Amino acid sequence: MKTWTVAKHVLFRIGQDPRTLILIVLTPLLFVLLYGYSFSSGRPTHLKVAVVNEDSGLASVRTAELGRITLTLSLGAKLVQSLDRELFDVVLHDKPDKIQEEVKAGKYWAGLVLPKSFSHALANEALRERGPQKTTYQGRSVELLPPETAEGALATLYLDDSNPVVTSWVALSLNEALTRLVAEQQATPTLKDPLDVHALYGGQVSALDYTAPGVIGFAMTLITIMLTVISIVRERASGTLTRTLVAPVRPWEVSLGYTLAFALVSLLQLGELFLVSHLLFHIRFAGSPLLVLLIVFVYAIGLQGIATLLSTIARNEFQAMQFILVLLIPSIMISGVFWPIDAMPTNIRLLAWCSPLTYANSALREVMLRGRGISGVALELGVLAGFALLMLLLGVRSMRRQGYSA
Amino acid sequence: MSETEEVVRARGVKKSFKNRVALSGLDLSVRQGQLYGLVGPNGAGKTTLIRILCGLLRPDAGEAVVLGWRVPNFRIRSQIGYMPQEVALYPDLTVMQNLAFFAELYDLPREQLKERAEELLALVELSDRRGQRVGTLSGGMQRRASLAASLLHKPRLLFLDEPSVGVDPRLRRSLWEHFLKLAAQDVALVVTTHLMEEAARCHVVGFLNQGRLFAEGSPEQLLRKTGVASLEEAFTRLEEESKVRT
Repeated sequence: MKTWTVAKHVLFRIGQDPRTLILIVLTPLLFVLLYGYSFSSGRPTHLKVAVVNEDSGLASVRTAELGRITLTLSLGAKLVQSLDRELFDVVLHDKPDKIQEEVKAGKYWAGLVLPKSFSHALANEALRERGPQKTTYQGRSVELLPPETAEGALATLYLDDSNPVVTSWVALSLNEALTRLVAEQQATPTLKDPLDVHALYGGQVSALDYTAPGVIGFAMTLITIMLTVISIVRERASGTLTRTLVAPVRPWEVSLGYTLAFALVSLLQLGELFLVSHLLFHIRFAGSPLLVLLIVFVYAIGLQGIATLLSTIARNEFQAMQFILVLLIPSIMISGVFWPIDAMPTNIRLLAWCSPLTYANSALREVMLRGRGISGVALELGVLAGFALLMLLLGVRSMRRQGYSA
Repeated sequence: MSETEEVVRARGVKKSFKNRVALSGLDLSVRQGQLYGLVGPNGAGKTTLIRILCGLLRPDAGEAVVLGWRVPNFRIRSQIGYMPQEVALYPDLTVMQNLAFFAELYDLPREQLKERAEELLALVELSDRRGQRVGTLSGGMQRRASLAASLLHKPRLLFLDEPSVGVDPRLRRSLWEHFLKLAAQDVALVVTTHLMEEAARCHVVGFLNQGRLFAEGSPEQLLRKTGVASLEEAFTRLEEESKVRT
């Protein structure tokens, strides 16, 4: 069996070439480091926001016993104080008429204007929502009554919504701060949490965990396909492939030899990717490492098939690169690595289910995030194995033709 | 010579690529121990013919039988040697590492490899370069290393595509002496060339153009037939005659 001879030879040549070796070892590292560090916090920080606090701090509230009374609440100041200082860089501002302009000019992500009546409006709004509340006022027990008319908007927020991610964080966080403020106002029991939430995975899965399996799969796809295609194209151009195919070696042995060698390289890279992302970024790894290895190995074999096919079509390394880009970039976009497939339009979803990366990504997620066993990823593994077999056959067929086109 | 085995027999071989006809019904016969020179200009179809005989290409029509098997056939692989026009060695590996890889493909035992490699490296005068990377050798040295790789497994039938390109005249002479020596050991050699002085050393010369073998014979026969002084003139004369005939 010459498969091993060819595989050994391919691995030996990789070992001989420092540049390829560096590519193999450093690229995954770079990938994980860049990706991990840029996404590990999962949320933006130090967003510059301007706050104009004109709040008088006073609220006039109806009571059952004393008619209208005036409370000193200083809700505006409290709100400013309770803003998340990691998320926001708060700049206190005193020109409410300038703020819209400055947000538009990009000086701030948002401008929050708290009017004079902020405390008043917020207190009454809270009463309207919850109904009468008991409290003590100047030593007497009083019942605060809801207002007779709605107070309207509490405050004005000028939001630079050119970046949806930032927008949602700003809006979410300000809303949270307001809700908290209202809740703190009244000592009385408020609404219970409307939803009884049971987080199945203990709320431990971060955005980084969620995307990591896909990103690791993608890094592997990119590197192995590139390596394989380029080395086969090069072998063909230099005539060494012809010499090999004239020798008593079957085309499938050559094809399989390549597959074996690069699948082993993929496993090495995978180990590195996981180790680094686990050690540095504490990527969640709930399931069996052996199962992950199996998924990746089956997937890598399919990739080798694609690579062999591509190398037949490509006349030179430049064309090979073009094919790789055309094939790989869409596949990462539609494979649910970053954006859930369930959130895609139906026709794109169909396309997504044609990409092997989709299955690899899904299987890796099931195992790594949910800790599923082999029966939990049987469908994905089955599809990947079928794909690998098909690609291997096509790859062997094309290898048979490789000698001709040299 | 008729009692020796016919190692190559081609009948009416045709091959086209897209819109270009490479071989248009070619007949060829090569016998054991023969040094056969395929002579013709660039694009005459020499390389295509060799690729078909090696089993790399399938003819569109006609048949080619090599070592008793209709090609392409896996069984002939271990008995044929092929030196392509390209260097066809790994530039990032040393001469010895290249030889070792191809020897392994031909199932040459490890113990024999060293002896055989030394013998061949001495022949192509690369003994002192065995540890050097092929990519750093001069063009001529690379071709010589390539020849050594094609001879490793002692093939019975050897296809050499332009073996003397980039090889200096002194070494070229010694290579051709070696080819004749191989032929004397009953190896058949099919050598392409466009140098008439090389063609003159062959046992049989086939003149090839536009995918057809238009004349064949020993150099002496061809000269006698045309009554000219050189094979070059003979080629031109015979080509014109064949055009008139068709």
